[in-house]
Amino acid sequence: MMQRTGALARLVFVDLIGSVVWFPVWWYTTGLKNMIVWCVEGINYRRRQYAIGLWVRNFFVPMYAQYDWGGRLVSIWMRFVVIIGRSLGLVLEGLAYAFLVVCWCVVPPLALVLALQNIIYGTFVQQVPTLR
Amino acid sequence: MPNASSLPQVPEAVVCSACGADSRASASCHMCHGAGVGIPTSDGFLVWNTLVDDFTIAIRKLRIKINAALHLLVMVGIIACLAVFLWNVVNHYSLEAVQTVEFWTIGHWFVTVFYLGVVLAAFFIFRLSEFTGQAKYLPHWLRKDENKKPSPANVALDVAPYFSVEAMETVEAAYLLAKELGRIEITPDLLFAAALSGRSGGLFMARLGMRFESVKSDLVRLLLLAPAGKPPITFSREAKRALAASFALADEAHRKHVTAMEIFVQAFLESQKMQDLLDKLGFQAAHVLHVAEWVLLQEKLKEDHERFVALARLKPKTVMNRSMTAVQTSLLDRFSQDLTLMARNGYLMPMIGNEKVMDELMRALEGGLRSVVLVGEAGAGKEAVLEELARRMVEEDVPPILFDKRLVSVNLAQVVAAGDMGLAAERLLAMLQEVGVSGNIVLALYGIEALVGSGSGPMDLAETLASELDKGYCLVVATTTPQAWSQYLERRSLGKKLIKVEVKEADAEQTVHVLMAKAASIEYQNRVFLSYASIEKATQLATRYLHDTAAPQNALMVMREAAVLARKQRGEGTFVSADDVAKIVHDKTNIPVEMVSSEESEKLLNLETRMHGRVVGQDEAVVAVSRAIRRARAELREGKRPIANFLFLGPTGVGKTEMAKTLAEQYFGDDAAMVRLDMSEYQDKSSIARMIGHPGDERGGLLTEAVRKKPFTIVLCDEIEKAHPDILTLFLQVMDDGRLTDGVGRTIDFTNTIVIMTSNAGTGFIQNAVSEGQSMERIKTALLERELKGIFRPEFLNRFDGVIVFKPLTRDEVVQIAWLLVNKTAKMLEDKGIYFRADDVAVEALADAGFDPLFGARPLRRVLQDRLETNLADMLLRKSVQRHDTIVLNADGSLSVEPAPDTLG
Repeated sequence: MMQRTGALARLVFVDLIGSVVWFPVWWYTTGLKNMIVWCVEGINYRRRQYAIGLWVRNFFVPMYAQYDWGGRLVSIWMRFVVIIGRSLGLVLEGLAYAFLVVCWCVVPPLALVLALQNIIYGTFVQQVPTLR
Repeated sequence: MPNASSLPQVPEAVVCSACGADSRASASCHMCHGAGVGIPTSDGFLVWNTLVDDFTIAIRKLRIKINAALHLLVMVGIIACLAVFLWNVVNHYSLEAVQTVEFWTIGHWFVTVFYLGVVLAAFFIFRLSEFTGQAKYLPHWLRKDENKKPSPANVALDVAPYFSVEAMETVEAAYLLAKELGRIEITPDLLFAAALSGRSGGLFMARLGMRFESVKSDLVRLLLLAPAGKPPITFSREAKRALAASFALADEAHRKHVTAMEIFVQAFLESQKMQDLLDKLGFQAAHVLHVAEWVLLQEKLKEDHERFVALARLKPKTVMNRSMTAVQTSLLDRFSQDLTLMARNGYLMPMIGNEKVMDELMRALEGGLRSVVLVGEAGAGKEAVLEELARRMVEEDVPPILFDKRLVSVNLAQVVAAGDMGLAAERLLAMLQEVGVSGNIVLALYGIEALVGSGSGPMDLAETLASELDKGYCLVVATTTPQAWSQYLERRSLGKKLIKVEVKEADAEQTVHVLMAKAASIEYQNRVFLSYASIEKATQLATRYLHDTAAPQNALMVMREAAVLARKQRGEGTFVSADDVAKIVHDKTNIPVEMVSSEESEKLLNLETRMHGRVVGQDEAVVAVSRAIRRARAELREGKRPIANFLFLGPTGVGKTEMAKTLAEQYFGDDAAMVRLDMSEYQDKSSIARMIGHPGDERGGLLTEAVRKKPFTIVLCDEIEKAHPDILTLFLQVMDDGRLTDGVGRTIDFTNTIVIMTSNAGTGFIQNAVSEGQSMERIKTALLERELKGIFRPEFLNRFDGVIVFKPLTRDEVVQIAWLLVNKTAKMLEDKGIYFRADDVAVEALADAGFDPLFGARPLRRVLQDRLETNLADMLLRKSVQRHDTIVLNADGSLSVEPAPDTLG
């Protein structure tokens, strides 16, 4: 009997009402963690794709096997440019991911606050066509 | 309790130590929450503590429906909020107005709706993450490498929330089944039966080759053993144990959820009665567990594939490496295939097993200075090792020396096909030059022995490659066979430059795994399904009878052909059975490998009578040979020796060879399935080489080649007493171990042969003894103890399963033989539409003329030729006989013609 009541209670209080209460807690605990993991995986994948470490290790190895002096110089210059470019790209992407995490944290409460602000201080009630 | 080694081990379930499973105390027990029994693990005391009845089943279904409806509602809400916002903005505001802070904060109702939409979207993300999953993820689903805490936790962990929808439906089905059968306890048997009737169960049964109808009645009888009564229906302690163990098994295997498959396995393991029942019905416990393993393996392959696809995207699509140090290799590209590129594009399959070889290869390559050669029989999996290397290079799961490189397979045949050997060497050097300059290429050379001898004089391509390898600018992974390695490479400079890594033939367990892994592609190509029995049969028969290629390749070939056969015979969507596999192997080898049918068992039991249709008299020989065939057909032999070794003793012309032919016809289906060696040709020592081949001679010997090409045969050695003693020593090994090594080092398998040796030694003694009326038993003893002692060594005579003495033929027996021969002639005439009849007296006269105490029945054939067949031939040529006429052999030996009656009146 206890378990039957439990099952019904779970349906009503956990799944329906409870989830509304749990939602903010989840958003800043499990949800945030999942988001950060997703971002870290994304940036890691990009890091492997750019292979900056590989380029640094091969910094003095001429590109396209051009072992003459001219080839070596051009190669070093190109590697320098590519490493800088890719590093910059990686940093920018990292920033974008960081921005996403910040958005995750800020956007829902901000939206809620702004909505409340609009409702309380604005002309919300008067403007809603059906409530006019 | 049976358990397949590859299934993860599950800890034993125990009674709750806190409450001792006392029903009064356990309801409030902190450790088991009333379950009473569970499995102690580091994640908690695993218990099944979830009520299943009509109400909870209904609630669970309702919950799924309500959640789906709620999510739909929220989604519609989000879309509506966004639509209202956009519609208002687009219709009433300019872009400049939207860009002001005032617009967002002044309190426009539709902006507020937009804000609420954003909050709703966040809520939607939350709901999707937490409420749409089938069930909770198992603790070690993603944390595979995490070390488990050594001590078990003393807190109850209810396993039910981790059960997938299908698993939960299985438990509910067990409840409904119990209710239907009027039982008050859900037992493991009920869980098993419920799992069988589910989707996974259907696949299981099909893979096992089990038809539900065939087990249904026995299963119901077993289910009715559970206690009967009126509800409530509860879980038995064994069922709770099985359900907790399902969780443990799924978690050990790093599954996402507990599925019906785990319930199936654990319920099966929990119920000894179920195991006995299935065993009685022909489904051994080991087979059932192997099928479970199969499902797990396919899941694992799927996961591995997902990981591979993600990593493959990082590998360049062109010849250029990621650090851009490489160059274009136009010549190499013409003569090669980029294995890493093929792997990247998903054309190469992962390797199953052979991990040890892979580790050895990686270690050898990690040294960085020496190239490697994989030495293994054709079909043992050398190519698979190279393909796996390519896959690992794509994943960059390789030692630093292979990092950011590509594996390129050179088509050696194309290189040496230049015609002009100088040109081939030039090509090879130019390609190696490209490899050196590019610096990102590892060469894969299949069948490196092709380079040996292709060149001008002693400086062949092998030497050219060896000298280039010495310079250390390129790495090579080559393959070759053991024979080619010992013959062409081992003692040459190229062989010395290569590290040898042996690829051994797969054993039965590995072969089964390979077939399981490849099953999906075979099934997809042929649109059929493979049963476990077919896989097991293919492995068993291929390793035993097909020696042209090594396992697992031979088993794979059989399996592929059996799939095609099943599709052609029964259409798409059918299951490949063990019989299909046996049929393929039978067609390939002519050996009756199918299960003995009732018709055939009848034949086998009456084999003596059937053999007497060809062999007259010689009862003892017929009985001994028939018994050997029955033993072989019932699979009651060791499999490490020839099927049987017989020594036939007796005078000439008494039926020794005829007996061997009859045996070949009865067992191998063809009386020509015979390797016949006249041992009088092997009287000197040097003739051993003729038999097993000269050292290094690829052509092999007469005996070894014949048996290698046709391993299912009778080896008939005539007049063995004339052979050189060393040859007899050679046969000692054949008769004892069932194998012989030929001149090039190949091991020839004799385990599917029947070795028959005939000898005329002691003929005089036999004839005298028979005429004196001595018993055959006594004659045989005297022969073995006295007469043959000086001719054969005792250990040689001991190797025979039967020494069979053929006694001289009596007149009656010769008359019977004469009848057999006359009937054969009659049959030939019948094929021409002419009938034949012979008088008894005439046949007896032929027998008398053809019988010779010294030569047995041998002269009979000549007499028949002279007196009957020659005259018949004359009649036919003279056209004195028409179709449908009858030729009569008269008592005086003359021939006459009885014209056919005129049917037209």
